[in-house]
Amino acid sequence: MTTNQSATADRTPVDSPDVCVVGAGPAGALLSHSLANRGHDVVILEAGPRFDKESRVDRMKRQIHPDRGVDEIWDMGGERDEYTNSSERPMPLNKRRVKGVGGTSLHWASVVPRFRERDFEMQNRHGVGKDWPISYADLQPYYAEAEQEIGVAGPDEAPHQPPREQGYPMDPLPTSYADKLFTKAADALGYDVQPMPMAINTGAYDRDECQGYGTCEHVCPSGGKYSADIHVEKAEAEGAKVLTEVPVQRFEHGPDGEEITAAVYATPDGETRRQEADVFVAAAGAYETPRLLLLSASDQYPNGLANSSGTVGKYVMDHGGALVIGFLPDQETHSAEYGPVISSGIQQFYDDDEDPIGGINMMLLNQAESPLAQMAMESNALGDDLLAELKRQYGGTIGASTSAEMLPREDNTITLDESKTDNHGNPVLDIDITPGQYVRDASAKAADVTTELVEEMGGRIAFEQGSHTPNADYIEPEQYGYHPMGGTRMGEDPSESVVDPTLKTHDLDNLYISGGGVFVTGGAANPTLTIMALSLKAADHIHEELQS
Amino acid sequence: MELTRRDAVTALTAAGITTTAGCAGLTGETGSDAEPMEVLVSLADVLYPSDIEPTPEFIETFMYGRITDEESYREELTAGIETLNQLAADEQGGAFHTLSADQRRSVIENTDLRTGPSEPDGSDVARVNYYLLDELLFAFYSSPTGGELIGNTNPRGFPGGFGYSPSLEQ
Repeated sequence: MTTNQSATADRTPVDSPDVCVVGAGPAGALLSHSLANRGHDVVILEAGPRFDKESRVDRMKRQIHPDRGVDEIWDMGGERDEYTNSSERPMPLNKRRVKGVGGTSLHWASVVPRFRERDFEMQNRHGVGKDWPISYADLQPYYAEAEQEIGVAGPDEAPHQPPREQGYPMDPLPTSYADKLFTKAADALGYDVQPMPMAINTGAYDRDECQGYGTCEHVCPSGGKYSADIHVEKAEAEGAKVLTEVPVQRFEHGPDGEEITAAVYATPDGETRRQEADVFVAAAGAYETPRLLLLSASDQYPNGLANSSGTVGKYVMDHGGALVIGFLPDQETHSAEYGPVISSGIQQFYDDDEDPIGGINMMLLNQAESPLAQMAMESNALGDDLLAELKRQYGGTIGASTSAEMLPREDNTITLDESKTDNHGNPVLDIDITPGQYVRDASAKAADVTTELVEEMGGRIAFEQGSHTPNADYIEPEQYGYHPMGGTRMGEDPSESVVDPTLKTHDLDNLYISGGGVFVTGGAANPTLTIMALSLKAADHIHEELQS
Repeated sequence: MELTRRDAVTALTAAGITTTAGCAGLTGETGSDAEPMEVLVSLADVLYPSDIEPTPEFIETFMYGRITDEESYREELTAGIETLNQLAADEQGGAFHTLSADQRRSVIENTDLRTGPSEPDGSDVARVNYYLLDELLFAFYSSPTGGELIGNTNPRGFPGGFGYSPSLEQ
């Protein structure tokens, strides 16, 4: 019942484009639009399909159905998406990413805080991690541009956020009932609740407004939530060409090894084609981009492309989590009536210079329990018995979810698993990532603060991530992989980084990388806005290069 | 309480979902001289609380309004009704919609309906669970009418507008 528009799509290579972008997610979409808008010929090669917008209602129903997995919502899984997890903890990558036009932004929650100034200089400030070769100030204009492009509703003035040069495009989302409960408790405890920047249209943007489905993570049927297919379509309106279901198998380079000459892609009918271009951008996400570089090994580059430093697939990061759910006996929490999953957060522990040093980004939840319809389907009861059961089960919950900073470590890696292949016979990626004490301490602090808040409300903790394992798909015990970063990090020194501050690889003159992979440290803010800002910065550099 | 379209048509249309006017999927032979809608209503009557009187209008709006591929659904519906009637005949000796409410409840309780798997590509009964029972439950408990019974007029899955936030209870 869920179709896509790719069945009869043209998959012929584009003749002599300026730029070939691999990946139609957030890291490729804004960049492609920025370049196409300035007159450059752009082709985007996307491994997944172009999903029909009409199918979003079906996908939303899949999300709510108790027996359908998160990976099924956007058709992830199977041989195409095979991977190996060598980490000690579960890394359900196919529940975390989407392959298709729009990429993983199709199922994100659209939480878009900027990184903080300190995130770019953790080594200098705190003696941990490594400093970025660019500062917050360097990225600030691109943050502003990204916020304008995607449409962010956020607070112009809030106690704990980095400097702003102008207001957000839209006023913050309205204060939810959960926000009010949290604010009252936080006021008593001396904590600050502030609006969270959200990429949700409240009316100013030329797309549908939020309709309050309450399913933004993982499907927004109305399209009020920003997803990157919007900028892919804008790029197409400026002349860009998009080829779907054409997973890139490898890059090829010229005889001198200085430039990429083609991206070799497979088509659904089994053909292999070559897309040539002047400039190439790897924007396939922080999981697949290192794999693509490693799969592109040649006689000249036996360890993979852009890997003279030996750091491709190293310093991989994620965010730690602290999902805490409380129950307020005899209190109404109006769970899920509001619509958007998140509208406020607590940011004062992100950058407070107190132990733990690790950044803490607390997102206060407007829905901390399963959807009502999911509970109804999950039950075996009928009629009045079912209603009575739902009345007992539903309501009274409140919760917070936290992203906490993980340090970059050389031994947190993405490599190739030569023993397992995808549907094209290519070795799959193998992720091996261990959280250190640094991120555990930050997560624990967030859990403690949430517990304090729930108890201040008169409630008790019903669930703390990892300590209990309810049989509900949306709560998973200590499973991660939401925010992949690192693996192709940025730096001035070619001996210890993959890309330079313009996001061009040190080794190849016409290969750029756009995505969370270039992050040097991971901060605690949800990474997508920073990915978008960096992609716009890269677009400027590519434009300059093409002009010259 | 009789279920009606209430303000749902407006809400669903505003969200870009076209509600079906005549519900072509609900006509045709079922093998039991009953229109599919009659069977769906008789099933909903057992699934929904006793104070609720399911109507074709409600099912058209909240269930069919959110079915995007009616042709595929019609096939599943026809097959599902056949399975349901077979179970009903085995258990109670008649087509499902002709049975009393107690008998219909008994058919569900004495088979794998509800308790068994619910899968789009599973066994005949698993598909009845998925395409008929769960669709009806989704329709009701992600509508303002079903949600209101639990104190939530905008349950997840319903496009009821955003920003609902009453004053803090003291």
